[in-house]
Amino acid sequence: MSPHRVDTSSARPASLPVACDVAIVGAGPAGIAAATLTADLGLHALLLDEQAAPGGEVYRALAIASAARRATLGPDYEQGAALLVAFERSRAHHVPGASVCGVASTAAGFELCVVRDGAAQLLDARCVILAVGALERPLHIEGGTLPGVTSAGVAQRQLQQAAQLPPGPTVLAGCGPLLYSVAQQLSEAGADVVAILDTLSAARFVRALPHAVAFIRSPYYARGANLLKDINETVPIYHDVVEIAALGNDKLVSVRFTANKRTTTLIADQLVLHQGIVPEIHLADSLGCAMAWDDTAACWTPRVDTWGASSVAGIFIAGDGAGIAGANAAAHRGALAGLEAATTLGRIDARTRDAAAAPHRQRLARSLRGRRFLDTVYRPPERFRLPRGDTIVCPCEDVTAREVVDAVHEGCTGPNQLKAILRCGMGPCQGRDCGLAITELVARERGLPPSTVGRFRARFPAKPLTLGQLAMLPSSAADRFAVTRQPEDA
Amino acid sequence: MTARSYDVVVVGGGLVGAAIAYGLGAGSKRVAMLDEGDRALRAASGNFGLIWVQGKGIDFPAYAAWTRGSARRWPELAMRLRAETGIDVALEQRGGLHLCLSERELNARSALVARCDAESNRVEMMDRAALATLLPGIGPDVAGASYCAADGHVNPLKLLCALHAAFTACGGSILRDRSVRRVTRERGSFTLTTAAGAIDAGRVVLAAGLGNAALAPQLGLSAPVRSQRGQIIALERLPALLPLPVETLRQTDAGTVLAGDSQEDCASTDTSTGVLAAIAARAVRAFPRLAAARVVRCWAALRVLTPDRYPIYQQSETAPGAFLATCHSGLTLAAAHALDLAPQIAAGTLATALLPFSAHRFDVAAPS
Repeated sequence: MSPHRVDTSSARPASLPVACDVAIVGAGPAGIAAATLTADLGLHALLLDEQAAPGGEVYRALAIASAARRATLGPDYEQGAALLVAFERSRAHHVPGASVCGVASTAAGFELCVVRDGAAQLLDARCVILAVGALERPLHIEGGTLPGVTSAGVAQRQLQQAAQLPPGPTVLAGCGPLLYSVAQQLSEAGADVVAILDTLSAARFVRALPHAVAFIRSPYYARGANLLKDINETVPIYHDVVEIAALGNDKLVSVRFTANKRTTTLIADQLVLHQGIVPEIHLADSLGCAMAWDDTAACWTPRVDTWGASSVAGIFIAGDGAGIAGANAAAHRGALAGLEAATTLGRIDARTRDAAAAPHRQRLARSLRGRRFLDTVYRPPERFRLPRGDTIVCPCEDVTAREVVDAVHEGCTGPNQLKAILRCGMGPCQGRDCGLAITELVARERGLPPSTVGRFRARFPAKPLTLGQLAMLPSSAADRFAVTRQPEDA
Repeated sequence: MTARSYDVVVVGGGLVGAAIAYGLGAGSKRVAMLDEGDRALRAASGNFGLIWVQGKGIDFPAYAAWTRGSARRWPELAMRLRAETGIDVALEQRGGLHLCLSERELNARSALVARCDAESNRVEMMDRAALATLLPGIGPDVAGASYCAADGHVNPLKLLCALHAAFTACGGSILRDRSVRRVTRERGSFTLTTAAGAIDAGRVVLAAGLGNAALAPQLGLSAPVRSQRGQIIALERLPALLPLPVETLRQTDAGTVLAGDSQEDCASTDTSTGVLAAIAARAVRAFPRLAAARVVRCWAALRVLTPDRYPIYQQSETAPGAFLATCHSGLTLAAAHALDLAPQIAAGTLATALLPFSAHRFDVAAPS
């Protein structure tokens, strides 16, 4: 068998096979590790990813970055290099520029709907490893839909891909390590970062103390401490921020905020919002994989076993998509999911699997140390998870927090009824922007736990495609008869 | 625990139950409507939004008449809902088209239209040239269409909201998260058992869709219903493209284009790419410019079908005061349910025009 891998520098990617043993969705650290491992075990492994080069959100553009760019991007990126080298040596087939719009169960395994180079096609896989990573938890504020207001993820992507800087004064607001990391990257790249508005209060750190012992021994400690130290010296940081509003008529002009009972307004061309990341669960949810509400992280997390196996046989979930744990943990979780997938497919036996898993488990435990501390410390405050009044919760359909609360008081019992009444969650983002806030708002208003309230039903397509692309997919005579109600022309 | 008590309890908060409950509530009885939870199977939430008359009830004249009558009363229903709730259900009733994508389809459609009661249904065939002036965007495969002036469309989600709001506004009670486990009759009154307690009722209307199958026999009724899956594709909002609904495509008041639909023997509300692809392919053949439109969301819902696909309306003979109402096309029939059926239930007797809808029609033909 010849190597399937595509040279990422080549302009013309090879065609997509119609079937594989293991389809891995997402080429971040978890996906790269899973693809490398399953391919090394002799399985036909296909790594599907939207980007042009492997690396995912965390090691984005690493494979194609120059040495000078890598220096700007910081030392964290170098950790991805080892993973990429192993991946490039493996026989894993990398499919760049591919969006997975849907995954469905079939008699023999799974069927993935893939859009690539403007065309849609189906791919059969015996097992699927979902390594789709995380989403930013949206931060809904007054004026949050004005041009000039963006998320940290978008700001970082612009910086990494195009070295594009915000034009004038930039304010960052919210909480979480990525907020500081992006502030530092922007600042080092020459942006005029005028303030960081941190929504967290000191009380958070007290609540996190029981977890602090593990934290001090963890790799996060050194990284976190350095980040804060660097930023503190260059940018003013306001803590305990309780109100944030983006002001301006047709674009952002200034940012008003309240901290320590003082309200301040800063002139700004760009406001970068961020309040942590949460697992991207759309594909897993649409497959029926069981989810649990994580109270500490205030988000849905797929229920997986210690190998990353979901409640649906043959579907594995690895990396931040199975619960936020960072890039190092993701690589080990990817390897573990790959080992279990190979066992499920009869490629290795349980003893071989367990022996190969041992070093990953050890390193995974080390990289998970301190995770609880981070979850507890960086849990976004309720006032910023649950928007109020006229603040828009669903930007696709312009639905405000007040409308949601009113509908619940009028008897609406859950997110799916709200969707029918207010259209929230029906837009192109498929509820990714409003889903968590809607669940928490309904839960608070009804006095029920979020796990009881539930969430929007995840629908096809998980990623955009056109009607023409959908029309290209194969259909059986029975499928067509169900639509035409007429036998076909002979 | 003391049971709550009502004159009439309607089991089911979908389009059928809500239309009947609204009609009953407007008649000043103490009415409660029981609805299920957030993830209930809701045919209403999967409704395509058509008020459709053409081609219906060819071999069931009573149904053809019932459908026509409902379409005629739709403007009155929409007006009343708007006056009582402020909700505009976006009714448009300027006719509808059924597109034929080949000469063969056109011939088959002509044959079907020829069997319709021409006098009352007024379905006419339209050739490609006539159709092209009405719908300039049609593709080269479109051979012609059938047209009926009584057809139209509404926003089904706004309709469901409006029926609920109007029902509440006239004093009705909506009890949510109430799945009915059991219903019994004793000394002329009914008791419905739910997880949240018992509810007493002078009369009961079973409008629980697929749930009727289990409830009806408890009241001496029969609801042999099965599910049929229908899948729908919602596209992004587009500039005005479809002045009239074309049965498998319609553009909503907000500009969203919907493409439907399928009829599948299936009890799952998952979508399937093969059927979605078949729907998409026909939509693109009908209007090639839709190929570039972005798919925003696809969904599936379950129709509630009786063996002959026609409704059942019936009062129990062994438990008088218990009524059964089950059908698909809950949107087309909403006006008939609210304005004609509900007053009959309130009066305690169904009119003779509804006798053909009794489930007894299935007793005779039951194969061994």
